[in-house]
Amino acid sequence: MLEIKNLHARVDDRDVLNGIDLSISAGEVHAIMGPNGSGKSTLAYVLAGRDGYEVTEGSIHYQGNDLLDLAIEERAREGIFLAFQYPVEIPGVAGTTFLRTAVNSLRKHRGEKEFDAMQFVKYVREKQSELNITDDMLRRPVNVGFSGGEKKRNEILQMALLEPKFAVLDETDSGLDIDALKTVADGVNTLRDPNRSMLVITHYQRLLDYIVPDFVHVLAHGRIVKSGGKELALELEKEGYGALTGTQAA
Amino acid sequence: MQGKAENSRNFTQCDSLLIGDKCGAHTVPYIEVKNRSAKVEHEATTSKISDDQMMYCQQRGMSAEEAVALIVNGFCKEVLQELPMEFAVEAQKLVGISLEGSVG
Ligand SMILES: Nc1ncnc2c1ncn2[C@@H]1O[C@H](COP(=O)(O)OP(=O)(O)OP(=O)(O)O)[C@@H](O)[C@H]1O
Ligand SMILES: [Mg+2]
Repeated sequence: MLEIKNLHARVDDRDVLNGIDLSISAGEVHAIMGPNGSGKSTLAYVLAGRDGYEVTEGSIHYQGNDLLDLAIEERAREGIFLAFQYPVEIPGVAGTTFLRTAVNSLRKHRGEKEFDAMQFVKYVREKQSELNITDDMLRRPVNVGFSGGEKKRNEILQMALLEPKFAVLDETDSGLDIDALKTVADGVNTLRDPNRSMLVITHYQRLLDYIVPDFVHVLAHGRIVKSGGKELALELEKEGYGALTGTQAA
Repeated sequence: MQGKAENSRNFTQCDSLLIGDKCGAHTVPYIEVKNRSAKVEHEATTSKISDDQMMYCQQRGMSAEEAVALIVNGFCKEVLQELPMEFAVEAQKLVGISLEGSVG
């Protein structure tokens, strides 16, 4: 599904990713952990294709094609989704309008008929209640005045509606209370599918109790310094990153 | 404000939205007041479509044009929804037309 080879990337004249190798097969969930500033969000943005994140070396292949050839919206239409660490506010644009525009962009791309307002409401209803999203949240402007937890639930609602093939969740658990964490994790788990892969970025092993990953990787100084199964997260929780990152020359 | 308009009030608000980094906005209020008891206020704001907002919309699959149209419509909505139906529809179309070819 996704094949990252020797990926180097630069942001603002700073080398942030320094040779990442990562291979993710269909249906797998990989977790990435690592200290603040190690490059986790940068990796997420590079995958999404954000402007200003320049790949200086290496390659990313997605479903056999060169991902780096595609613009950000083309990647989205091919099934790449990023749940943002800091979801963006869009004043004046009602949640439903935003969601419908996004869903219709994808449907158009797939040659499907676009949803009208009524059809869309029906489509949203079911997923909305699973994620505990009120009608009020959908009427309000996108993310404006949302609490941290509401923003994160809203990201997962978008994921549920857009049905991506490859989803990156950047710290979707941070800022969630215990109940919301469970709601979000349940939402993500319903979306687990043999044809869908996920990359889950988190600081807390607790999320991985709910969303159990197939692999865990530790990122430090823009490199993957250790990979393992889900038990690696438990080890990290106990021992911290010190031993792993200390041996790594910056 | 006409000379006989005793204790009249006026509030003018002028909000500008900048699209792209090659533009600016100068808002020059012009208000004629011929009555000393009139109360007149003017307010202006300038905001900008941010790269973050564009990126957010495009990550969800929208083209740059769709993203700008969505954000601009959101910006105009507060005013447009105050207009009578037939004007609102017309104004909405105008916003659409003036955006054609503004991105890319
Ligand atoms: N736009 C930018 N301009 C300059 N430096 C940047 C930019 N984006 C990221 N960096 C730098 O790149 C490094 C990696 O940042 P990144 O956001 O990827 O870290 P992270 O692992 O996601 O951290 P956190 O756990 O705090 O979210 C940091 O040192 C950061 O300051
Ligand atoms: Mg981050």
